[in-house]
Amino acid sequence: MSSSTELTEKKVFLLKSLDGVIFEVEESVAVQLEVIRELIEGDCARPFISLYNVTSEILALVIEYCKHHAETCSGGTSATIADEDLKTFDNEFMNVDENILLELCSAADYLDIKSLFELTCRTLASLIKDRTIIEVRKMFNVENDFSVVEEKAVRKEFAWAFK
Amino acid sequence: MRRCLMEGVEFQAELLNFRKDGSPLMNMLRMTPIYGDDETITHIIGIQFFTEANLDLGQLPGSSAKETSRISERFKFSPSPCVLVTDGKRNISGGVCGLMQLSDEVLSMKILSRLTPRDIASLGSVSQRLYELTKNEDLWRMVCQNAWGSETTRVLETVPGAKLLGWGRLARELTTLEAAAWRKLTVGGVVEPSRCNFSACAVGNRVVLFGGEGVNMQPLNDTFVLDLNSSNPEWQHVKVSSPPPGRWGHTLSCVNGSHLVLFGGCGRQGLLNDVFVLDLDATHPTWREISSLAPPLPRSWHSSCTLDGTKLIVSGGCADSGVLLSDTFSLDLSMEKPVWREIPVAWTPPSRLGHTLSVYGGRKILMFGGLAKSGPLRFRSSDVFTMDLSEEEPCWRCVTGSGMPGAGNPGGIAPPPRLDHVAVSLPGGRILIFGGSVAGLHSASQLYILDPTEEKPTWRILNVPGQPPRFAWGHSTCVVGGTRAIVLGGQTGEEWMLSELHELSLTSSTI
Repeated sequence: MSSSTELTEKKVFLLKSLDGVIFEVEESVAVQLEVIRELIEGDCARPFISLYNVTSEILALVIEYCKHHAETCSGGTSATIADEDLKTFDNEFMNVDENILLELCSAADYLDIKSLFELTCRTLASLIKDRTIIEVRKMFNVENDFSVVEEKAVRKEFAWAFK
Repeated sequence: MRRCLMEGVEFQAELLNFRKDGSPLMNMLRMTPIYGDDETITHIIGIQFFTEANLDLGQLPGSSAKETSRISERFKFSPSPCVLVTDGKRNISGGVCGLMQLSDEVLSMKILSRLTPRDIASLGSVSQRLYELTKNEDLWRMVCQNAWGSETTRVLETVPGAKLLGWGRLARELTTLEAAAWRKLTVGGVVEPSRCNFSACAVGNRVVLFGGEGVNMQPLNDTFVLDLNSSNPEWQHVKVSSPPPGRWGHTLSCVNGSHLVLFGGCGRQGLLNDVFVLDLDATHPTWREISSLAPPLPRSWHSSCTLDGTKLIVSGGCADSGVLLSDTFSLDLSMEKPVWREIPVAWTPPSRLGHTLSVYGGRKILMFGGLAKSGPLRFRSSDVFTMDLSEEEPCWRCVTGSGMPGAGNPGGIAPPPRLDHVAVSLPGGRILIFGGSVAGLHSASQLYILDPTEEKPTWRILNVPGQPPRFAWGHSTCVVGGTRAIVLGGQTGEEWMLSELHELSLTSSTI
């Protein structure tokens, strides 16, 4: 289909977010989104791809993540240095508030970016670990939808966790 | 859509959807809950119609005929109603945000599964949906596996009744130890001639006994098996070909699933450093000597444990003319020609015999107690040392003890110093200690627990009900399925009564 594409020219793709913002990304970044990688590799991808489940705020972060990973992996540095660099970047990248983290997790799941999905899930788990019930509700915006009677029963059932 | 589903009312709306080729279409969807006799929703019927969408979505691809890519399916909803529900949840509908926007699968299998049993129980009290998620046995199995390691979970699966109990219950009982109890068992068969100073080891749900000291210090070399899976367990003499030379003060460990490995001890000609292996599941079980290079010094009353299921670790013991040892060796029995390797360390804990080695957290070992050298004297010890064998240069660390350099005061209520005691590795890295030879009056069944993974490990006393044994010795006690410590021999004076067993079961799953 695109056999006539200039070899010297870097292929770019336009990703459109839920709120209509268009991001221009290079192929090395776009292929990290498994959800469109096959389309690109099969040469079936149109240059303009709408991602209806991701807001521009989150898509910008996702692209920043993929860009850094693409650059580090193709940067020609040794594998161990690249690993260290990515670890540092990932740690800093995860330094966002819980709501952004949750949105990143959903987006990584939808866009099928395995490393980002794993990273966000791991970070979310570490945030939940050792939290009290009240803290979890507050931190992650979870409504307490138990009735007073139900809550009493549930707390009794799980009383062993607090011994 | 989700609110309707949760409240059990009908949902009807038009959704913007996309064809494989990316062109828009309208999806008219109606979802109706079906109530069962007990007024709970049993099913939801989903009906959908597609109509062309009159929307301008910008640039669309020219051709779609060849597009068969599986991936592009993701851009449209699946026609199956049950998938529709999860897809609906996954949508980020701008503004509404929180933990609940994640799908059940992502929440349980990817996030909650990384937490500890206590965390999961705590989360169950957060909201209705999280409560429902904590009812899932698959989640509990993953939690157990992540928290305790896959090897421990595999062993737990072999425990009769564990499946009946369920992973959720098992996680709770092994976290709180609330169901732990002592029990007395009487088994059939006889172990003759009578003996002491034998070694016992569990292979699956079978207890194996080898050798020991008979009358007039006669070293014995026979093998007995007690199958605890049987409805009437009884001791059976196993006729094995080519038994190793008789001995006592040796160790018996389980490797490679059904293999037993015998090392060292005291024989007729003095101390030994030979290695024998027996496959208990073989049609004709045979003790096979492993000729291995560079073996450790001959010894007795040393301590052994198994690492990675294949490596025998041996430490300390008593060498010729009563010299105490402080070395640590490993022997990889998965190799065709196993080679002994001394673990080089800059510093070793004082040499000792009758101590225990326990494995925790994968490849870490913990040494406790024993009769330890202290200057020209020997004292019973209650010191705890650990070593991480996954490190490139492993080294001994003093965790808690009675005045070792670098050690703090014994944290919590430490067990009195002892030797030839029992140590049980619990899921999650905790170590349980009881029995052994203790100075003065002391109950052999008093249990002490230490979690070496804590920042400041602290001893705790665990009180359990039931019928405890009067004596419990390390060499004659074995752990079955990770949850039952079988103490052999109700002792009356010099005589060991091998038909009387005491069991410390940590879960309520045992029959």
